[in-house]
Amino acid sequence: MSFDFSLITDHLPLLLVGALVTIEITALAVAIGTMIGLFVGVAELSRYKWLRYPAKVYVDFIRGTPLLVQIFIIYFALPIILGTRIEPFAAAVAACSINSGAYVAEIFRAGIQSIDKGQMEAGRSLGMSWTQTMVHIVIPQAFRRTIPQLGNEFIAMLKDSSLVSVIGFEELTRKGQLIIASTYGSLEIWSAVAVIYLIMTLSITRFVAYLEKRFH
Amino acid sequence: MIIIKDLHKSFGDKEILKGIDLHVKKSEVVVVIGPSGSGKSTMLRCVNYLEVPTSGTITLDGKTITRQVDINTIRAEVGMVFQHFNLFPHMTVLQNITLAPIKVRRLAQPEAERVAMELLKRVGLESKAEARPSELSGGQQQRVAIARALAMHPKIMLFDEPTSALDPEMVNEVLDVMKNLAESGMTMMVVTHEMGFARQVADRVLFMDEGRIIEQGSPDEVFNHPKEDRTREFLSKIL
Repeated sequence: MSFDFSLITDHLPLLLVGALVTIEITALAVAIGTMIGLFVGVAELSRYKWLRYPAKVYVDFIRGTPLLVQIFIIYFALPIILGTRIEPFAAAVAACSINSGAYVAEIFRAGIQSIDKGQMEAGRSLGMSWTQTMVHIVIPQAFRRTIPQLGNEFIAMLKDSSLVSVIGFEELTRKGQLIIASTYGSLEIWSAVAVIYLIMTLSITRFVAYLEKRFH
Repeated sequence: MIIIKDLHKSFGDKEILKGIDLHVKKSEVVVVIGPSGSGKSTMLRCVNYLEVPTSGTITLDGKTITRQVDINTIRAEVGMVFQHFNLFPHMTVLQNITLAPIKVRRLAQPEAERVAMELLKRVGLESKAEARPSELSGGQQQRVAIARALAMHPKIMLFDEPTSALDPEMVNEVLDVMKNLAESGMTMMVVTHEMGFARQVADRVLFMDEGRIIEQGSPDEVFNHPKEDRTREFLSKIL
């Protein structure tokens, strides 16, 4: 067995481009997913059935089916209904955002429920509406409390984004596959890919720990 | 000021309030006493609809609460102070007090802050404006909570066991603020176990047991000449 380091150094720029794309898609998915999650998480706690039920169906469907299948549905099945092709980038971001949204919704729902009922009562007793109390009092506290879980979701999304390689979207994993196809350097390139993922996830862990400290 | 008519409240099949009728006049201080589970807090929480009555009506300052009435505008006129303070921990003391006036009354921030500082002075905490609730003692937190409620210029103040969660040495600082408030002519309903406060400040004392008002009258009547056996029994246990 030989380990050819030059294979890695030669292709590092390409891999780093892939890593940047991975970061881009993850950041977009988490940002959009957080917005979806915030809305859906609050909807799950609404007293209105017409808000609560669709939110629950969405969360159950996304969490109950594999992300890979969701990617296939958006990239291959949806165009049949829409009658137009969907770009791999758009499909990748859409699938990851919609997926992340469901998990973030559950994180927020649990976070909001963990806030003492007295906070909502205090807000309401001052004449603020349910929405005002949610926005100014409950959600800011829930958000702080859920930073560690949101960090975990960010990390999970970063790793799961490798799945969009199946639709030919050239993020880090796909770049690795393409390099291996022309060099046969499975051992070197997959090792390098793994190390790059590890560096990214560890960086996020550090960053989340820093945020957590700052907010407490 | 407050008219409660035939108020019933059940949680599941457990009836907590079994028909309450009460009329509180302007500037009157009504202190509600009674054993735990007697429905005192539930009655108080029905007044500003934190609990929705099962049946009966509540009229505040001439406005009867119905589905058509905007509950938020009514609540803005009714201050409430809770046993566990319920200050907003992510905000400073000043922000706690100015939030509702800014969001509900649409006050400009400088004006809201000016009012807040006056109120903090009144409760003796103007030096704590920039502190977080977690940096304050229980008694200080409760005084901030009173200031927060007063910032909305309520016509009625409700106190739900405001000193029950406090260390004994902090009870008086809160009661003193409440006494001043009573002397200033505020209409108040106070659920408490502080019999000294009830004797000194109450215009009327209500004794509640098992979801009903058993007896009511001046502090002298209720404490020194109780008519009902249940009142006597309760007072003999706590005095």
